Amino acid sequence: MLQANNYFLVLLIQLSLLTFDLFVNSFCELLRTVPVFQLLFFIIQDISILLNLFIFLLMLFNTYVFQVGLIFLLLERFRALLLTALLYLTLSITLHSWIMNLRWLNSNHYVWTDGLQVLFVFHRLAAVLYYYLYKRAAEYLSDPKLYEDSLWLREAFAHYQQ
Amino acid sequence: MGRKQARGVPPMPSQDTGDEMPSAKSKRRKVKKELNDVEEPEAGTEAVIEMEGLTNRRSSDSQEPLTPELPDVPQQKRKKKKKAHTPDLEGEQPEHVNGDVLEQQTDGEEVTKKSKRKRKSKMTESHNPNELGVEEDDIITDVHAPVSQRSLFSAPLGHSQPLSKVFVERSRRFQATERLDLGRQGEQLEEFMEVRPMWSTRDVAMRVHSGFRVIGLFSHGFLAGYAVWNIIVVYVLAGEQLTTLPNLLQQYHRLAYPAQSLLYLLLAISTVSAFDRVNLAKATMALQGFLTLDPAALASFLYFAALILSLSQQMTSDRINLYPTANETLWPPGSEHQILQPWIVVNLVVALLVGLAWVFLSSRPDMDYTEDFLMAMEVEEYPRHDEKTDIPA
Repeated sequence: MLQANNYFLVLLIQLSLLTFDLFVNSFCELLRTVPVFQLLFFIIQDISILLNLFIFLLMLFNTYVFQVGLIFLLLERFRALLLTALLYLTLSITLHSWIMNLRWLNSNHYVWTDGLQVLFVFHRLAAVLYYYLYKRAAEYLSDPKLYEDSLWLREAFAHYQQ
Repeated sequence: MGRKQARGVPPMPSQDTGDEMPSAKSKRRKVKKELNDVEEPEAGTEAVIEMEGLTNRRSSDSQEPLTPELPDVPQQKRKKKKKAHTPDLEGEQPEHVNGDVLEQQTDGEEVTKKSKRKRKSKMTESHNPNELGVEEDDIITDVHAPVSQRSLFSAPLGHSQPLSKVFVERSRRFQATERLDLGRQGEQLEEFMEVRPMWSTRDVAMRVHSGFRVIGLFSHGFLAGYAVWNIIVVYVLAGEQLTTLPNLLQQYHRLAYPAQSLLYLLLAISTVSAFDRVNLAKATMALQGFLTLDPAALASFLYFAALILSLSQQMTSDRINLYPTANETLWPPGSEHQILQPWIVVNLVVALLVGLAWVFLSSRPDMDYTEDFLMAMEVEEYPRHDEKTDIPA
């Protein structure tokens, strides 16, 4: 059974990483005059997205539902978040690589193109969706039913056995 | 063979000493006669041999009685009889004959061999009790003590002696606990829970959600005020009918990028908060909210539209930011109106959208479907593949 204190700590870490990601997305463009700092923040941001994903997966593995073997139940429940996280990570790495490639030699140069603009818009929109779905999934993992035997779990187990 | 035939009903079990064998043999002969009367005459010889085999087998302690191929009723009857009697080699053997018949019939020659070996081992042990440390209390001399018969794999009939300690799973670990303390601990725990309500993970999630809702509420209001202030500043600097756009560029170029960044930050928080209020992950509820013009659903739509429009102006904001350094390339003479007018209009629309969304949310600030969902923690049944109306978390 997941303890409240442990869950609170994990939730705090997850939300802190989300907050860091939000601030980097919002204000990193202001650091473009020093490309090294911008590159450093981009790398940390991508690592934080990956770390958040790992923490979420570890929380999934900690559930009783996962331990009895109903992996598909959890994957189906959280598939939107997993897909959004992977999409956001891909967009993030792509955008950061492209922008750093354009601004590394001349940071004060106007680098925007239509393609870059479209990628930028999709990246920021995916970020908002990622924040919402991740927060909701993290709160959903507080359900005690996921950590103990229940009639719902047994019915689901019987259903999947068929 | 002759010796085998001479043996009668199996002595019940465990203790088969050499001294008791002659008396056992005599009683077995009597039992044998009864057996022959019970069984069919044709099967008499086979029954005797099988009974002897069962006798030899039962004479050993180490072997467990046979099982379960027998019907349950005879076993139960036999067990009841066993409970009523104490173990004995010779006593009351005729009473157990009928019960043993079925069981004996199921035993084969293997049982005979095993019982022989164990009888020999028992005999050697019984001849030297003192060397093995056998106490006098352990030696049963009462020949009339009943022999308990039971199947090989049945549970022992003696009184169970449960361990004083049991292992209880707590916090994913097994801890040794006194059996007597289990009941007390349960009572203590119940008392503890009655006096002090314990925090659960759901309570933590509710608290975090409530805290984020407060932040979201602040963000809604601040974003509405900031957007209105921004567009007022832009229109004041742009002049009447947008005639002083160079003045706008000159005064505003340092604020353009930070303003755009702050706008995105507030829009992201407000949009997530609006999605939380409408519980967007439940598509059915969200769609129902849109169709019924639910304020939270309308606000979430307005915030999302404002976010898209704001992001689309990122290029123009960067261009405004680079006005002093790249004056000729980015801002050819006479192009200010063509570039800035869409930017001003979009900013105006964004301000209207976020203002409207703030008004909608302020009309019903207590509406929060995600909080209701968390309180109920409605876990849907196993996902149905034919229903794909809900977006999972």
